[in-house]
Amino acid sequence: MAALCRLRFCVRSSYSSIRTSFSSDSADRPRSGFAAAFEQQTELRREAESSSAGLSGASSGQNESFGSLLRRSAFIQMGPAKDRVVVGRIFHVVQDDLYIDFGGKFHCVCRRPESGGEKLQRGSRVRLRLQDLELTARFLGAKTDTTLLEARAVLLGPMESRDSRDPRTGTETHIERSASGTACCSV
Amino acid sequence: MAARALTKGLCRFRPALSGQHFVTASSVSLPQTQQDDVSDQILKLPLEKPDFFRVSELFSLKDLFDARVHLGHKNTCRHRLMEPYLYGCRLDHDIIDLDQTMEHLQLALNFTAHVAYRGGVILFVSRRRQFCHLVETTAKECGEYAHTRYWKGGLLTNADIQLGQWVRLPDLIIFLSTLNNVFQQHVAVRDAAKMNIPTVAVVDSNCNPSLVTYPVPGNDDTPVAMELYCRLFKMTINRGKDKRKQMELLRGLSAPSESR
Repeated sequence: MAALCRLRFCVRSSYSSIRTSFSSDSADRPRSGFAAAFEQQTELRREAESSSAGLSGASSGQNESFGSLLRRSAFIQMGPAKDRVVVGRIFHVVQDDLYIDFGGKFHCVCRRPESGGEKLQRGSRVRLRLQDLELTARFLGAKTDTTLLEARAVLLGPMESRDSRDPRTGTETHIERSASGTACCSV
Repeated sequence: MAARALTKGLCRFRPALSGQHFVTASSVSLPQTQQDDVSDQILKLPLEKPDFFRVSELFSLKDLFDARVHLGHKNTCRHRLMEPYLYGCRLDHDIIDLDQTMEHLQLALNFTAHVAYRGGVILFVSRRRQFCHLVETTAKECGEYAHTRYWKGGLLTNADIQLGQWVRLPDLIIFLSTLNNVFQQHVAVRDAAKMNIPTVAVVDSNCNPSLVTYPVPGNDDTPVAMELYCRLFKMTINRGKDKRKQMELLRGLSAPSESR
């Protein structure tokens, strides 16, 4: 009877009352319905948190299969590369041409912009809008495509310094939402 | 004894073999000197274990993944014979199966370590201009050879005339990219097969793996991946050579005591 009243009270009333009722209860009293489900869920969450805290990042990474690594990679999560905004790093400069690596198979080559171009040197991070991850075309009479070994992207400008470092992986993983609402990610 | 001397003489005469001598049936009964016993043991001991040099410790799946080894070309550039090595195709881009790459890379590195252990001549070949300097410095740092320039026609097949008589040809050729600058297969792949020289090659999804002895399916276009391969090959070759020096020191110390 007391348990039933408590249960009805839990379902109708606020969360704080639920917490107080649970803290007052002893562990050996049997639970039912919502109370049992709530307890099970908190146990599961506590176990998940303790296991993730106990395991170091390196060991859990080594147990991951190739399939799961791939599924969680930025390349797959990004989807189609057309018009995706990513962050790249300039690794080579030849006068006005900037060779930018954004984490894909190939780099892209962009021309230095007229305004604010002097700030962009080797090592500076820039924002790009990807057009194609690999420039290929099938020519007449060829069996396979000819590839240019380059990606194509439009240079949007230097990276604003409001990125956050991911402490687990140590790399700069940064997801931002552009004005149009599309998700952008960088590796 | 005459047969044994003849075999030994023939082996020293042919430049392709790397210090290995064959024990024929007739010579087994003949008394072997202590030196030969020790050198036999040095050469046979690494063959008893599958991973004597522990090359599988040098890399992990995560290392390969972070170096973007799994990224292949577009599916329209794919070579038909690379299809077994591909995991799949994502939005027209091929993904190389890293589980298979791990196995193949372990075999290739193990073979390289054995060749280096036996004092073999290793030649690094790559025609990618972007990584020419990297390959040359890698070869220099492990005391081996590299050829990253234009490959003259009969360098391996016509070596007696082009390079001089009794030239020692390489015992292993490592290709860091099997394609030349016009996306055709490098001539050295076919020539090495003709000259019975084993090859280890990194084959991307647009390469032909059929003539390569130890193909390693993987990305050969990204600098990170190339640096990883160069580092791995350098470490295995150095490991093989250091192990040989260590074995010679150990057996060299024990052999004089045995002869007494």
